[in-house]
Amino acid sequence: MNDAPPTANDVTRITCAVHPHLGTLVTESLLSLGAHTVLVENARSVRQRVHPRAWGLPGQKVELANSPIELFRTTVPRSSAVQVVETLNQTLELQTPGRGSIYAQDISEYSQLNPPVIKEITSGETTAFRDYTLINGILSKVGGCERLTESALRLGACVPIVTRGFGTGLRDQLGLLRITIPPEKEIVQLMVPSHDASAIQRMLIENARMDRSGGGFLYQTPISFGVVDPLLRIGQQEHAASMEQLIAVIDEMKKGTGWRKRFEAPEDRKRDARFVTHRKYSEITLVCSEGKANDFVLAAMEAGAGGATTERVRCLSASDLEGGVGARERGVICVPTSIRDKVVQVLRDMSQALEDPLCRIQVLQSSSVFFHQR
Amino acid sequence: MPPSSRIRIPRHTAWVMIWNYAKSRILGQLKSVSFILLYLIGFQVLVLGSTPTHALRIAGGIAMVVMGLTFFLEGLFLGLMPVGERVGVKLPSRCGIVLIMFFGLLLGIGSTFAEPAMASLRVAGSTVTAWRSPLLYAMLNQHSFALVCAVAGGVGIAVTFGMIRFFYGLSIKLFIFILIPLLLLLSGYCAMDSNLQSILGLAWDSGAVTTGAVTVPLILALGIGVSRASGKQEDAAGGFGIIMLASAFPVIAVLLLGMFLNMEMPAPADGAAFFSSENIEKVLPLFENKTAMHQHALRIAGPEAHNWFPNETLTQLDTDIREQLTPISEVLQQEGILALRAVLPLTVLLLLVLWMLRDRLRHMDEVVLGISLAIVGMALLTAGIRTGLAPLGDQVGRPLPRVFRSVPKEEGRVTLHPFDLTEVRTAFSTEGNPEKFFYLKDNEGNPQAVPYNPQQYDAETGSYEYILESKPLFGPELTLAGIGLVFLFAFGLGYGSTLAEPALRALGHTVEEISVGTIRSRNVVLAVSLGVGLGLMAGVARLLYDIPTFWMLLPPYLLLLPLTYFSEEDFAGIAWDSGGVTTGSITVPLVLATGLGIGSELNISDGFGVLAMAPAYAIASVLIFGLTVRSRQKKHMREADLEDEDE
Repeated sequence: MNDAPPTANDVTRITCAVHPHLGTLVTESLLSLGAHTVLVENARSVRQRVHPRAWGLPGQKVELANSPIELFRTTVPRSSAVQVVETLNQTLELQTPGRGSIYAQDISEYSQLNPPVIKEITSGETTAFRDYTLINGILSKVGGCERLTESALRLGACVPIVTRGFGTGLRDQLGLLRITIPPEKEIVQLMVPSHDASAIQRMLIENARMDRSGGGFLYQTPISFGVVDPLLRIGQQEHAASMEQLIAVIDEMKKGTGWRKRFEAPEDRKRDARFVTHRKYSEITLVCSEGKANDFVLAAMEAGAGGATTERVRCLSASDLEGGVGARERGVICVPTSIRDKVVQVLRDMSQALEDPLCRIQVLQSSSVFFHQR
Repeated sequence: MPPSSRIRIPRHTAWVMIWNYAKSRILGQLKSVSFILLYLIGFQVLVLGSTPTHALRIAGGIAMVVMGLTFFLEGLFLGLMPVGERVGVKLPSRCGIVLIMFFGLLLGIGSTFAEPAMASLRVAGSTVTAWRSPLLYAMLNQHSFALVCAVAGGVGIAVTFGMIRFFYGLSIKLFIFILIPLLLLLSGYCAMDSNLQSILGLAWDSGAVTTGAVTVPLILALGIGVSRASGKQEDAAGGFGIIMLASAFPVIAVLLLGMFLNMEMPAPADGAAFFSSENIEKVLPLFENKTAMHQHALRIAGPEAHNWFPNETLTQLDTDIREQLTPISEVLQQEGILALRAVLPLTVLLLLVLWMLRDRLRHMDEVVLGISLAIVGMALLTAGIRTGLAPLGDQVGRPLPRVFRSVPKEEGRVTLHPFDLTEVRTAFSTEGNPEKFFYLKDNEGNPQAVPYNPQQYDAETGSYEYILESKPLFGPELTLAGIGLVFLFAFGLGYGSTLAEPALRALGHTVEEISVGTIRSRNVVLAVSLGVGLGLMAGVARLLYDIPTFWMLLPPYLLLLPLTYFSEEDFAGIAWDSGGVTTGSITVPLVLATGLGIGSELNISDGFGVLAMAPAYAIASVLIFGLTVRSRQKKHMREADLEDEDE
């Protein structure tokens, strides 16, 4: 999948999104399996809440309900990924709607640390499905994700996961005038069936008005396999089983989500200039000590990158392998594949110049990159 | 950023960008102060039936408050908080826990000495009566430096403990369940001593006052930084809880200081007994010298004081105590110096630490701009409060007792000449007491019975001077409607001033950021404001009915313990921190003026303790809000069987 420059480790990045009460369980499971470090980020999940109207008025009201969740990320050798996902899936009972989601992405990683050695516990078989794609949305301002999450839920795509980050790029080139542009961004992750991904992305662009100036941008990254949280709706339930529970059961029976294909593929529709996406892009993720991301991003921009979105994350470690300090920054840079190697090299050089042994650079192919064009 | 990559923005576009940005920020602040403003003016005009005096000066002051809040908050978010957080993140990577604790101690002590609200506490102390509360008087006058040192030491120890908590990932509940019972026990002990009970209000107010507009955001950001750097699973909730410690430790420190000083303190007594020759040796050390003692007695008791010192001639005081209006330029200058003192030393200390840690900030220009804006904002804000908001609050707060009690207020004099003494009649009360009166026609020409006062009759000229007095709004004695109105005023004052409190806005912003929007800043501010409103109602009740401070503090704090136990760690930290930030640069002067105003009208020894009520109710309000939010979220997730893990 990745044709990154040599010396990269081919690993799998596992991302698990669960309620904070399950957080300790995730960390303990991962560290006991042999993972070096776990990156933790505060996030929220958005669901539709259905409740009867006030004062006994007829009908129902549907509104968005936010719940706190935590995102856990770790990297493991590709050969152990299935085992790690399966262990977490069983430990956290993720098959039960509402408990969270997990997905694995094959990436190339540059790091001074070797990939961890994962203890063998279960067989290499997985109950997770392989036909998912991750739609990543970066919204230009706080509160901007409301439309996106609302339309994703209305489309029945998945439970959106929202985190907060800071934009770096054009803003930093304005001098002190940058203070007039808020740096805060909202980042939305949607785990959708691959066969519907492009159609869903197109509808999201339209419904969330991302085809307008300053709306943000969307792109897709492949998921190797994962377990999705199908609990889109909470609150008043009229039937013995919810639609999401029925879908989960049929997914299980059909061993996949292909039976759900319902949207026409983008190529079936008349080509619209507003929804043109760029296919040959790469997502470069940078994890470094807090406070150093800006230097990395500036270097990447010198090499041709347009900017980055950084997030603050905490690093939980089994030992003092990573310097004993938990504050990290995670930057996501989307660049055309043609300049990817150059940007990666610049970032690696910067890592050596800054003497940041904690730095790791992860590369992943991304497709269907959409941003507003005048 | 290399100069070549800088984007040049045309001047006109740049101005448009700045204007749009500034406009949105100024309108936001205008919205936040509009409630307290409209409320105070509405109360004065509609209830008290008077109009604001020095309206132009007050309007200028309010404009300064709005601009000051805009600049100060911008300065906090651009300069002070990023620096604090950066130091917090970097400290654990380069220093051991001992050095971090020492730094915490230094920062805590420094921030208290820099806190402008401390000055208002000492000014408020000048109204204390030495013979009614000798210990309180001594602590606010003779031993005021020891008081500030005790408070500073308390805050220093609090920040040190905060660092330990974050470094080792200790639960805030542990500190709450140890500190609060200890505080209540100490307060209970003090409540039993006639001298020590007078300092209870001061001690609890000190805890509330120390956590001001500069201290709160700085130590909050520092705590968040250390918490994030510690890499503990338990730190998902961020670095909350340190403000609570900074509110609790000073109370303990002040109470301990009071106990120590109480050993050589004369007991409270009436003026004659207090200044009697047997007691004078104990009393004299309370004052600078004998003259100061005489002046204090004369100032508080008036001519009656002459009787207490039969063998001495008391120095006459200058009775012209009319308040001179300080020119705005002078106020700005004074507040500018205080703002510099509040912001600069602390930020320089933090920048110095960063330099020693060999770290540099991402946008130094932004930080310098932020620090400058914070200084300008703080100066404008405090000057605006002094010239605008506080006088407005004072104009409403002082005549407030009129609402519930008959307060003689001379509105004019009428000389009745000639006055016929034979027309003076006698009326008898049900107890048989005779009272003289005569009939006088009112403005409508209807005869009204008017009490006759022989001292106002001049036999030589045969004239009677009748003094027109304003009537109480709700009858001569305490009435339900009048008291209700006072409570309403106290609630609105607390609610409105807290809505505009900059430290609370910084806390709300941090909470929203850390919770990724699951807890909205607006909801936190509203919950705290409601709590402070209710707390001030309790504080005013204490003054109206002269309830001992301890008995007002005990029930809410006892209720807080189970509420905290059932709350989650993050909300416990946020709630107890909210209690600390309730009383900042806007609330303190407004509430202290009102509290002392009502206190002096009702002859209560001191008006302290009003502020101390606010945090308890604010904490309860946020804890209840947190329990409601969590119970709603749990209800949402019940289908997913997450309850098992919750329990």
